[in-house]
Amino acid sequence: MSNPAEPNRVEIEKERELIGRAQAGDKAAFAALVRAHQNEVYTLARRLVGDPHLASDVAQEALIRAWRALPKFRGDAQLSTWLHRITVNTAWTQKKKASRHVAQPIEDYAELAAPEGADHPAVAGEIAELRGQLRSALDRLPEPQRQVVVLKDVYGWSHAEIAESMNISVTAAKVRLHRARARLAKDLEEAS
Amino acid sequence: MNLVCEMAAPFVANSAVDGTPVASMFRTHTGSCLKCQARHVAMTRTARELTAMHSTRVSAPPDLEWRVMSSLEGDLAVARSWKAPLALTAALISAAAALVIWRLRPDTAN
Repeated sequence: MSNPAEPNRVEIEKERELIGRAQAGDKAAFAALVRAHQNEVYTLARRLVGDPHLASDVAQEALIRAWRALPKFRGDAQLSTWLHRITVNTAWTQKKKASRHVAQPIEDYAELAAPEGADHPAVAGEIAELRGQLRSALDRLPEPQRQVVVLKDVYGWSHAEIAESMNISVTAAKVRLHRARARLAKDLEEAS
Repeated sequence: MNLVCEMAAPFVANSAVDGTPVASMFRTHTGSCLKCQARHVAMTRTARELTAMHSTRVSAPPDLEWRVMSSLEGDLAVARSWKAPLALTAALISAAAALVIWRLRPDTAN
């Protein structure tokens, strides 16, 4: 899983130290880890479940599960990757509990990073329009398809990782992705 | 839009997002179909936007950290509330067992 915002060595060392302290039961150290990762965990939850309130519950539950599982964290993966997995698993559980909950549109990604060329008004306008259409198209996808697209195309998970976390076969994950992308493409084409 | 374009659509989308060639069975068609090519270009841009989403964050609710840490306090409180009685019970059982063993010991005085 690639992360465009890779932490530098100092941050990694600092985080490792916090993890060690938190594993020894230091709650202040864990609170510092929560502060560092809560936006990331909440963002993933929002993208997976849509509804902001449910996403907030998912993020809370995921971070609590992380605290409980922290003694088992061996540091083979980055903490953020490990937290992503916990968040995904928590999202499935919470969605099952709230199965009658209807996903809400994802409307507040106001803090999107400005892409190259976005300072040109025409380009910026075009990008903003595309992003709006993309968010709407993602919202319209059936939830299992949306989750696969988010994990694969936004977070760069492999088919195998998605299959494992969603408890489906790799083939099923590929089929879902295949259908989701086709639907996304069709939706965007109709919107434009 | 003909039927072949419709059938090719998911493969065009996969090709654009993954940056791989279109599946061989549709390659000839997409090579000459302007509609499919336009679709490929549009989906390539979409893929770029999806990737860009990774580096964007939505701010967590301001009370999230408080909620998490409060729950942990509850966890620890429950753990603590069980620890003391459990230790006391274990100590009493051990003492009782020791007493029984002492009382039942074979009389070696005679």
